[in-house]
Amino acid sequence: MTLVGRAALLLAFAAAIYAVVAALWSRRTGRREFLASAERGVWAVFITTTTSVFIMWGLLLGNRFDVADVAGYSNLTLGWRYKITALWGSQAGSLLLWMWLLSIAAVLVVVTNRRRNRDLMPVVVAVLMGVAAFFTSVLSFITSPFATVSPVPADGRGLNPLLQNAYMESHPPMLYIGYVGLSVPFAFAIAALVTRRLDSTWITSVRRWTILSWIFLTIGIVLGSRWAYEELGWGGYWAWDPVENAALMPWLVATAFLHSVMVQERRGMLRIWNMVLVILTFTLALFGTFLTRSGILSSVHAFGESTLGPYFLGLIIVILVGSFALLFTRLPALRSQNSLESYISREAIFLYNNLLLVGLAFAVFWGTMFPVLSEAVQGEKITVGQGFFNQVTAPIGLALLFFTGVGPLISWRKASARELRRRFAAPLVVAVIAIIPAVYLAQDGAHWWAAAAIVLGAFTVTCIVGEYWRGMKVRHQLGGVSWPGAFGQLFVRNRRRFGGYVVHLGVVSIIVAIACQGAFSSQGDLALRTGQTGEVAGYQFTNDGGTRSKDDHKMSVGVKLGVSEGGNRFATLEPGVDVFLAQQQRSSEVAVDSSPFRDVYVVLVGLTPDGLARISVFVNPMMMWIWIGGVIMVVGSLIAVWPSRRPRGAAAPSVVGADDRVPE
Amino acid sequence: MAYVLIAVISVLLVALVAWPLLTRQQDPLPAYQEDDRRAVEEELQRSLDAIREIDMDHRAGNLSDEDFEALDRDERARAVELMRRRDTLAGSEEP
Repeated sequence: MTLVGRAALLLAFAAAIYAVVAALWSRRTGRREFLASAERGVWAVFITTTTSVFIMWGLLLGNRFDVADVAGYSNLTLGWRYKITALWGSQAGSLLLWMWLLSIAAVLVVVTNRRRNRDLMPVVVAVLMGVAAFFTSVLSFITSPFATVSPVPADGRGLNPLLQNAYMESHPPMLYIGYVGLSVPFAFAIAALVTRRLDSTWITSVRRWTILSWIFLTIGIVLGSRWAYEELGWGGYWAWDPVENAALMPWLVATAFLHSVMVQERRGMLRIWNMVLVILTFTLALFGTFLTRSGILSSVHAFGESTLGPYFLGLIIVILVGSFALLFTRLPALRSQNSLESYISREAIFLYNNLLLVGLAFAVFWGTMFPVLSEAVQGEKITVGQGFFNQVTAPIGLALLFFTGVGPLISWRKASARELRRRFAAPLVVAVIAIIPAVYLAQDGAHWWAAAAIVLGAFTVTCIVGEYWRGMKVRHQLGGVSWPGAFGQLFVRNRRRFGGYVVHLGVVSIIVAIACQGAFSSQGDLALRTGQTGEVAGYQFTNDGGTRSKDDHKMSVGVKLGVSEGGNRFATLEPGVDVFLAQQQRSSEVAVDSSPFRDVYVVLVGLTPDGLARISVFVNPMMMWIWIGGVIMVVGSLIAVWPSRRPRGAAAPSVVGADDRVPE
Repeated sequence: MAYVLIAVISVLLVALVAWPLLTRQQDPLPAYQEDDRRAVEEELQRSLDAIREIDMDHRAGNLSDEDFEALDRDERARAVELMRRRDTLAGSEEP
């Protein structure tokens, strides 16, 4: 079957090239049968790539150790679930997953645009299939997932133990769906530039794709953080690792785009800026793939040294140069229809928010690439530590938090001083009240940014709650509906706005939790014999005895720890260490007791045969709110992106006179 | 066996992509004008949504009377213009 798998990838490459040529020929000659043929070429790419993926899964499940990726990333004792996920454990397999998801996205684009965007579609198909041609060529000629080994080993090396984790089953596909989804807005943007259809049509077509991609990126980033927290055993969840940063950068720029696109829709402004953001977002998604595979930077997540770097770098340069050259030729047609009337207006706030998000993305890019740049300039690789990232992101994050609260309360075009005073009175009162506990927690200014996050968080939540309250009041008075009904109607009538506010609540939760965890977490090490008790950060830990077990797959040691506070025992934690036999690699199994206020996080460092357990304890305040914030963000964005159905009997407002206004 | 399978898949794929060329299958839509009509319709919908939102913000006390009058007037003028464009496009499509 390896031969069929290889052939399927070659056929996918040929079909992708054909689709590019046929689509462009259709655009040049106006012969629409060629566009129909190109769209079938997209289906052909999907069919052949799907065939390759299923053959690869068959090889993994069938323990075909004559295939290099099966021998390298699976073994006889590996469970079937991890055999499925071993597909993206290898370099070639992960590229195959990328390609498969791209083919699915391309087919969805073809299906959903059968009766729309017909003049954009030739270019959209050409761009998507151009990217597909690149990936299939890499998979066919440079790094094949179907490469074989000789002699055939009796058993494989198995999957990296760090990847044998439930979060790792879903984290990479989620990120990849996000990355791949961003290729669709890029393809539509290029199509709009080429065809000079630069009205809002392309924006409408891509907004939902961008939000969905953003949702998947968000899920992927949160799952990855959760994996790092539970699996790496260092008490943290984010280390500004190059590959973590690679996922964050397109997320930040896509977030900027999702805000600035509203300015284009509403005011006809920021049209060039939006094009730049779409191009940058997709380029950064590819850059993340490049970082993971080039071997230029070391990372716990990277695939190590490989020869793929120059190919990806070449693709990124071609895309950047080609896209910006095209954009440059269309600048006159992209001039804004309106200008900024006031620096205190909704569109101005969106602009500030955009500058901060893109600035943050640039800072992360700079910090990530600094080792490479320093080596190129000085001949010495200087790594930027977490301190740099924390110093840069803290003030920008706080400013973003401020604008998250301020933005929705300021009207479009301009805001009067009287209006501002009235709108911000309640949030400012709440913020002033929040200063008291915040100053107490700040401990003489040592944790000023955590205190500022608490104050700004209180301010922003009050702003958002105020928006819901005023909206409910109007609905309640107008429609004679109950208060809960009025609350529900807000989401029915304007999902995008009120779903967006839910996302903002999630952002507040995450930023405040990150600030509190960073400032107020404590850590201590204990060495306890059976029956002994030690204390860290006010919590007592009692060694109740060790455990040892062994199966075909791994050897495990653990210790039972009774956890008490003030003499009240509230949990028994069992941190452990697994030693995976095939790889002779150890993996920490941390134990966590979570509550809304803090996590007690315990790592077993070592357990001697006489029962002496060495443990590291981390007490992380507010950790749960990082994960809850992630869930709130995803729920809010799903509300915002859900297709709206006009309520039965809802009439369009009369546009003739100003005296007969009907809100719905 | 593998070679036969590859040959069959290849033939089926060629047939799949070549079919529109052999049968001269046209695009499902008769005219690209449909996209123009849809673009105006979507922009009109956004404009009507904006009018509703401005009205709601005014009722909620988010907008002063003066700001509301200015924003509402401009957005309604935009909606009227879009309706005219929509009617013009609809007229040009009629036989």
